[in-house]
Amino acid sequence: MRAGPAAALALAAVALAAGCGSPGPAASGPAAEAPPGGAPFLATSLVTGAGTWAVVVMGGSVAAHNNFWQLFARPAGSSTWQLATPPGTADNGGLVLADAGGSLITGFRPSQYLTYTPLTLTSDGGRAWSSTGPLDAALANVPDALAAAPGSGTLLALLTDGTAELAAPGYTSWTTLATQRSLAATAAGRRCGLQDLTAAAFAPAGTPLLGGTCGHPGTAGIFADTGGTWHAAGPGLPAALAAQPIQVLRLTSTAGRTVALLEAGTGSGASLFAAWSPDGGSHWTLSPPLPLRGAGLTSASFGPGGSAAVITAANRGQIITGAGASWLPLPPLPPGTATLAPGPGGTADALAVHGGTLAVWQHVPGGTTWAKVQVVNVPIPYGSSG
Amino acid sequence: MPGMNSGINVSNPIVVAAFKAALVHQGLIALLIFALLGLAWVTVRISFPAAAATRAQATAPALAEPAWRQVLRIGFGVLWVFDGILQAQPKMAVGLPSQVIEPIAASSPRWVQQVVNWAGTNWSYHPMQAGAASVWIQVGIGIWLLAAARGPLSRLAGLASVGWGLVVWVFGESFGGIFAPGLTWLFGAPGAVLIYAVAGALIALPERAWRSPWLGRLTTAGIGLFLVGMAVLQAWPGRGFWPGTALGQPGTLAGMTGTMAQTPQPGFLSAWVNAFTTFDEAHGFAVNLVVVAALAVAGAAFLSGRPRLIGPVLAGFAVLCVADWVLIEDLGFLGGLGTDPNSMVPMVLLATAGYLAVARAPAAAAEPAAAQSATPVGWRERLRVADAPRAVASAGIRSVASAGAIGVIILGAAPMAVAQASPVADTILAQSINGSSNQVNFPAPAFSLTDQDGRAVSLVSLRGNVVLLTFLDDTCSVDCPLIAQEFRQAGQLLGADAARVDLVAINYNPLDIQVSYLQAFDRQEGLAGVPNWLYLTGTLAQLEQVWSRYSIPPPEIVPAGSMIAHGDYAFVIDQAGHMRQELGFDTGPGTQATKSSFAAELTDAARQLLGHS
Repeated sequence: MRAGPAAALALAAVALAAGCGSPGPAASGPAAEAPPGGAPFLATSLVTGAGTWAVVVMGGSVAAHNNFWQLFARPAGSSTWQLATPPGTADNGGLVLADAGGSLITGFRPSQYLTYTPLTLTSDGGRAWSSTGPLDAALANVPDALAAAPGSGTLLALLTDGTAELAAPGYTSWTTLATQRSLAATAAGRRCGLQDLTAAAFAPAGTPLLGGTCGHPGTAGIFADTGGTWHAAGPGLPAALAAQPIQVLRLTSTAGRTVALLEAGTGSGASLFAAWSPDGGSHWTLSPPLPLRGAGLTSASFGPGGSAAVITAANRGQIITGAGASWLPLPPLPPGTATLAPGPGGTADALAVHGGTLAVWQHVPGGTTWAKVQVVNVPIPYGSSG
Repeated sequence: MPGMNSGINVSNPIVVAAFKAALVHQGLIALLIFALLGLAWVTVRISFPAAAATRAQATAPALAEPAWRQVLRIGFGVLWVFDGILQAQPKMAVGLPSQVIEPIAASSPRWVQQVVNWAGTNWSYHPMQAGAASVWIQVGIGIWLLAAARGPLSRLAGLASVGWGLVVWVFGESFGGIFAPGLTWLFGAPGAVLIYAVAGALIALPERAWRSPWLGRLTTAGIGLFLVGMAVLQAWPGRGFWPGTALGQPGTLAGMTGTMAQTPQPGFLSAWVNAFTTFDEAHGFAVNLVVVAALAVAGAAFLSGRPRLIGPVLAGFAVLCVADWVLIEDLGFLGGLGTDPNSMVPMVLLATAGYLAVARAPAAAAEPAAAQSATPVGWRERLRVADAPRAVASAGIRSVASAGAIGVIILGAAPMAVAQASPVADTILAQSINGSSNQVNFPAPAFSLTDQDGRAVSLVSLRGNVVLLTFLDDTCSVDCPLIAQEFRQAGQLLGADAARVDLVAINYNPLDIQVSYLQAFDRQEGLAGVPNWLYLTGTLAQLEQVWSRYSIPPPEIVPAGSMIAHGDYAFVIDQAGHMRQELGFDTGPGTQATKSSFAAELTDAARQLLGHS
């Protein structure tokens, strides 16, 4: 025997067995590990007082550990993006952002042999970072896994095992706020038939919010913790959605309001709704539906004034400027668009990635094309992580 | 398959050199064994001339060895020696698990992989001993078969062939691939070494079995049944052997031979295999038809048991086997890590023996008078101590050579058996990655830092214990967790000695210097409850001072999402605070075997300082 025949036999075996293969069962768990719309769902942008932030994965390598998540910042009042990735920690597992008022906190999702979540903080728009935390657990693989309470800076983290943990600034001492199981056992959780948790946020008043997927149709799984009691805080949905499964894709608070993105239905019949609440979930305004036509989301971002922009798996972009508005299709997205950064008045930047190059394209309302306005070359540290 | 592959480059010069040196040393010992046995034999014969003369009178064979047994014994003896020589290829020590065993097992069911993985892991932990053992066991069995023509020693050689053949068949060939899809006689099913084992089993049969014509008939019937079965398997629809191409891709056979042609080999051979591949792609159906028909006809002939039928069929069958060996099996042993010439040569040997068995079948009653009149000598009589010198003097040169062959087998097997008793991998793996450690002796640079629980710790405070020291980045995602595991395993291996050894890491991260990060790292690595584990940190200025004192480069903060860039180091500090060893500690492939090897290296270093060897 020798390697040659062995390899040949192995190849032949694979060829013969290929027809017998079947896909494995879909991953399921307390916290959503598989992003709803595809692998790079962590790609997003958000607006804080310091400016606009965007996270995209770059590298273009087939080896996952050679693709690194990059943070870009566009300071308030500027139209130029700059690389602001916090240095010194491997971020090939994903970056998750939390707006902590005057500062931005990033969580580094675990990768390779690292199983916990380092945290770092900037208070100067990403020029200087300081270590904080860590969160001694694995942050969930969703863009809203980390949220900071306005004012207090208390951090809420959603873990891969479906636990929600809280920590005061310093972020070294974490306590469990809820688990998927404990939340599902509450009256609100039972009405929802809570299956998993997909998002964590704070209401503008500082109330912790958790979002998830309800097993019972027609129910939006958003929960608020008031005084240690969890109650349903999701929007009431139209009767037309009474038979539809509802999943909370995104949940965040920005500029004094809570914004959620909900997917209703499954497959080709699924639709996307945006919902806005000014009071932490007591009252909601629901957008018109955006038919997804079987194409899940690959990225969803929030901008000023409650605006939101999404990219579907069909590489189409849609934008909505805020409560009471309708979804507007964007022109065909530039190739490689990883996320959108909605701006004021329906403007948007498209951040397109090609290996180690980020191209920024701008769109103005009413326009039919995108204009390339900036190129940023990023020194991807290929091979630095094994 | 976890553990099987050590991840070390098969051409690693340190391992290759060590393997060659081990073979040379053991080869010299093997020669010495034969020389000493020969000398002892000659000496005893001179001392006991009467016994030697008795032997001389008895050398006329009581019963000639049947020709077909001779074919099996000599043929497979030569094959074992040849296989043993192939095992001595420089890349074999490290390469056999990753490049031979693992690929073969890859297409087998999980339970087969688990069985094979056990052996592959053991091999990868002790590549020197395992590699050398394979050489000497196979050479020893071969010499034994060649030397011992008759009697219990010859039968024992057959049994040894069965035993080792089955070991190789199970662990080296994953049961010959019989549980994997794509099984075909053309590529060696049901495993070349199984044929060795069958031959060994025949050789191990008692003399009376060989005097019976039934043995030959049973053997030919067995061969016939096997060939018919292989014909059916080859003809079975849906297994992909009939079409030369499928959906524009080479069919099963052409795909296999096309892959074979890519392996390193002489150009003419590769050209022949390529030519056959092209031919099979164009005429796949015809090729398979010929193979199926040939196997069926040969099987039927052997099943008939008629020498007149088997003779001419055997000639054609031998031609088919040679063609298969060259054009499909590609000789089987070229390409750098071939372990045997595959199945066709042993197949022809077995078939020839089968033919001779029925063509020259002994008459059941034709037992020579000499054999009947010979007074059997029991093994108790032979082993009587007082009679031992006379027994040796009366022994033939074949018996002496057989004893030497047994010595060669033990020479290979004993170190492997001893190595198996050790739960850790050899330090040669760690040394193959970083070279040997620097032996030094100077006062270790002082440090005064804070441990993972916030307590002050200095080097002085550790006096009296051996200190195994390293530098770890607490958010490192690649090497540092592996090094931490190596230290943890070293602590476990030290057993009771661990109380006199401190496992110390100093933070090698200039950003995450808080104790909370050390604690998270400790929990991640299962080090939180290890009593002699200390993970130290301090202010950035303090850490920079320690890095500088220990002459290790300061960690580099790389932008754009990379972890901190840093080197991997370990130091061994004695009870008096003197630096005694500096080790490069690049973790290499980070496999179970290499981690274990690094742990063994640390353990050895600590034990040396504690006064244990």
